[in-house]
Amino acid sequence: MTASRKVWRALRNALLLLAPALVVLLVAFIIPMLYMFLLSLQDPNGQLSLGNYLRLFRDPYYLGILWRTVKLSLYTVLACLVFGYPVAMFMARSSGRVRGIVTFLIIAPHLISVVIRNFGWVVILGEKGWINSLLMNLGVIDRPLKLLYNELGVVIGLTDAYIVYMVLALATSLYAIDTSLYKAAGILGASSVRKFFSITLPLSLPGILAGSTLVFSLSMSAYVTPALMGGTAVKMLPVITYENIMITLNWPLGAALAFLLLGSTYALVTLFTKLVETRRYKEVFSG
Amino acid sequence: MMKRVPWLGIIAFAILLAVISPLIVIIPTSLTSANFLAFPPEGISLRWYEKILDRPEFIDAFYYSLRLALLTAVAATVAGTIAALAIHKFRFPGRQLINALLLSPLTVPAIIIGIAALVFFTRIGIAGTFRGLLLAHILISIPYVVRLVLTGLSSYDYTLERAAYMLGASSWQVFRDITLPLLRPAVISGFIFSFLTSFDNVTVSLFLVTPTSTTLPLAIFNYMQEILDPLVASISSVVILLSVVFIFLLEKVYGLDRLFGVNTQSHS
Repeated sequence: MTASRKVWRALRNALLLLAPALVVLLVAFIIPMLYMFLLSLQDPNGQLSLGNYLRLFRDPYYLGILWRTVKLSLYTVLACLVFGYPVAMFMARSSGRVRGIVTFLIIAPHLISVVIRNFGWVVILGEKGWINSLLMNLGVIDRPLKLLYNELGVVIGLTDAYIVYMVLALATSLYAIDTSLYKAAGILGASSVRKFFSITLPLSLPGILAGSTLVFSLSMSAYVTPALMGGTAVKMLPVITYENIMITLNWPLGAALAFLLLGSTYALVTLFTKLVETRRYKEVFSG
Repeated sequence: MMKRVPWLGIIAFAILLAVISPLIVIIPTSLTSANFLAFPPEGISLRWYEKILDRPEFIDAFYYSLRLALLTAVAATVAGTIAALAIHKFRFPGRQLINALLLSPLTVPAIIIGIAALVFFTRIGIAGTFRGLLLAHILISIPYVVRLVLTGLSSYDYTLERAAYMLGASSWQVFRDITLPLLRPAVISGFIFSFLTSFDNVTVSLFLVTPTSTTLPLAIFNYMQEILDPLVASISSVVILLSVVFIFLLEKVYGLDRLFGVNTQSHS
């Protein structure tokens, strides 16, 4: 058998096994994405035009919502970082059973529907929720705090939904730190604060970067949490995209919004990654 | 000597508690005898569990979700496993590209996959059908199966296969008696993970269901936007208990840490 016939046979066998998955991919993903892109380029008369995109970029309403979506996603990244770092550090310092339990406890809630977790937050944060009732009964406050159906509520919900990705990204980079560095620093008389800022933090930068981009992208496109915990007061890009598709039924504009969401997320993630990496090179090369 | 206070551990467990708290508060809330959500929950009763039985739409949605998740898991596991085998076993041009393509649905937000499916499925006439919803759920589950099985294959020992062929086994026998048993943990966790992915999904389903036939998470989501009462808590409790069974199964068969790509054993 010649070499080229061998390649062809391998290709044929592989395609036979790949066929079911590729058919699903084509029919439910690749063709629909291309079709949606064409739809976003249609004006009301069915003619090809950039009108939908121009409308989004000229209308302060849509730009305002884009800005709020970016802002709340950044807050979420920050919250995940602040609350995720101690958990990841604890995971890195413990071993065996304890680490296994913490890993389980951080991942397991993530496998339960976000609708249900958001409902739990409504029970905790609502006007007659656990926190407000407790504080009122203790006499700390005399009017319920507004913890829900505002930007705070959305950030709490998103942080709870995506913190697992931040913790796992951080933990992976913290596990890789050579513990002899700490011993060396200790011998040289470094305090634990100094050790943290000179060893732990710089060496966990790849984890911070990976976790942040992941949490940012997920927050930008989250629909359920802003809908349930932001209510009608805090509209984010996915929510108005949904409204255009399912309520006002303006599909071409909705499709353009979907690509605005996709494009702005990719652009910001790329920009962020580039910025961090250039800074790192500068640190390495110019001391 | 004074014992050092393990601050880091205390902070870490406080944060973990906050992450788990929304799930914990649901259980006592569901056992209230009051007509509204209140703290502390008044009285103890199972009346909100009995109420579930009066709401056929939730029971129907539960069976709909169950059927959808089972079919999704079966189809995604079969299609994903044989696709991963093809990528690992055969050397052919475009192999890397196909691998990237199979994982690509993971890089696009669920809401965009849902909208794209809706507009195209409407065009070909399967929007709002069970088939359309099933297709979309299989799509979002396949990448997980492919990734899990490829990870399983990376430590796969081909000498066993070769030995079996030498002893005269047919390719089917090799697949059944050697390949499949060695890949069992990866395939089973792919199945369970696909099931959970489908059973929990809201954002893709949102665009593909009809008002008369909807999935359970979506039924809860829609109800919650209208009314907030202990009925949501009792239904949620049932779903939590069910999910916990699957989560422990996944932990036993494969390990949640391995599933999410973290290695908890090595400490270098």
